[in-house]
Amino acid sequence: MRVQLPDGTVRTVEAEGIPVEQVLGLLGVNPVEVIVTRNGTVVPEDAMAEREDELRLIRISHGG
Amino acid sequence: MSLTGGGRTACSCCGAAAVYLQRATGRHFCHTHLAEEVEARARKTMADDGMPGRGSRVAIALSGGKDSTVLLAILHGIARGQRDLDLVAITVDEGIAGYREATLRAADAMAARFGIPHRTASFAELFGETLDHRVEGQESRACSLCGILRRKALLTLAREEGAGCIATGHNLDDEAQSVLMNWLRGDRDRLLRDPGQHADRGFVPRYKPLREITEKEVALYGMGTGLFSPLPECPYRHTALRGEARAMLNAMEHRFPGTMERVVRGQRRLALAAGEAGRAPPGSCTVCGDPCSGPTCQACRVLDGEVFRAARHR
Repeated sequence: MRVQLPDGTVRTVEAEGIPVEQVLGLLGVNPVEVIVTRNGTVVPEDAMAEREDELRLIRISHGG
Repeated sequence: MSLTGGGRTACSCCGAAAVYLQRATGRHFCHTHLAEEVEARARKTMADDGMPGRGSRVAIALSGGKDSTVLLAILHGIARGQRDLDLVAITVDEGIAGYREATLRAADAMAARFGIPHRTASFAELFGETLDHRVEGQESRACSLCGILRRKALLTLAREEGAGCIATGHNLDDEAQSVLMNWLRGDRDRLLRDPGQHADRGFVPRYKPLREITEKEVALYGMGTGLFSPLPECPYRHTALRGEARAMLNAMEHRFPGTMERVVRGQRRLALAAGEAGRAPPGSCTVCGDPCSGPTCQACRVLDGEVFRAARHR
């Protein structure tokens, strides 16, 4: 699946039918720190991600 | 982006597609029920803390970022049902090039959207120079100096606006980070200060209606209600101890859900147990007259350069 990281870079993860949280773990991202969209829709981290899905990670923390 | 699409996880309240997993409880929320939950918790915190309601003028510290924008929206919703609750938004322009311009525009737009009067004052107007200029060569001190001067600026604006209290957008993550930072600094006074005691030392009282709501909940609330779009990050963010505290707490929160809430509640219990013994004796700054625990308040020490001189000797 295609995953867009908060900095805009894109990674491809070879996996099928795994929780979003596991995808984040493979990329070293803490689910506490991001909002995830799957094919444009916000999903919780225990939603499942399929091979053809596109995930986008949005960092939630800003400021000083 | 949509917040209404499908998924295999369902809202614990209505069965609709969930957008959020509350890890500490295992409950799922759709956008509608997350918004209701956030608003209810903010109202409860305001009631628990005795925040002034009817007949009051409340100054909302509006940076233009997501937390204060969500606070503005929630208080606006409450004020619609209480005609004598008077809101004013106050914004401080610290003078951070390449960052503040966009958030100031966002603050202006949000205040206009909700029809709330909006006052802005800059460090340059109030203190004679921008933050960028003041911390040149001392960038690692930017966040602590900015925090001290921003509090002073907000207090000045709130007084000028005749506000009875200031509401800030601090969320649960912010509060937990502050507790950990106080431990890391060995700051006994702040650790023993009861966050529920706001008005006992002559300040315009400050309230934090979002202090029991996580940063992620605030962000999802804002996204779901179309309140904001991505904004730039503060260039000084990476110099702050807060960033280290945030990373540590986020890691712990992931492994042990509810960590941040326990950290904050533990500090509050500590402060309540300490009672009067934990409070610094009230006094007045010999320079500006504002309440403080020593002869001179932190803001006047910063403006006098004392903090800069002390920092150079560390």
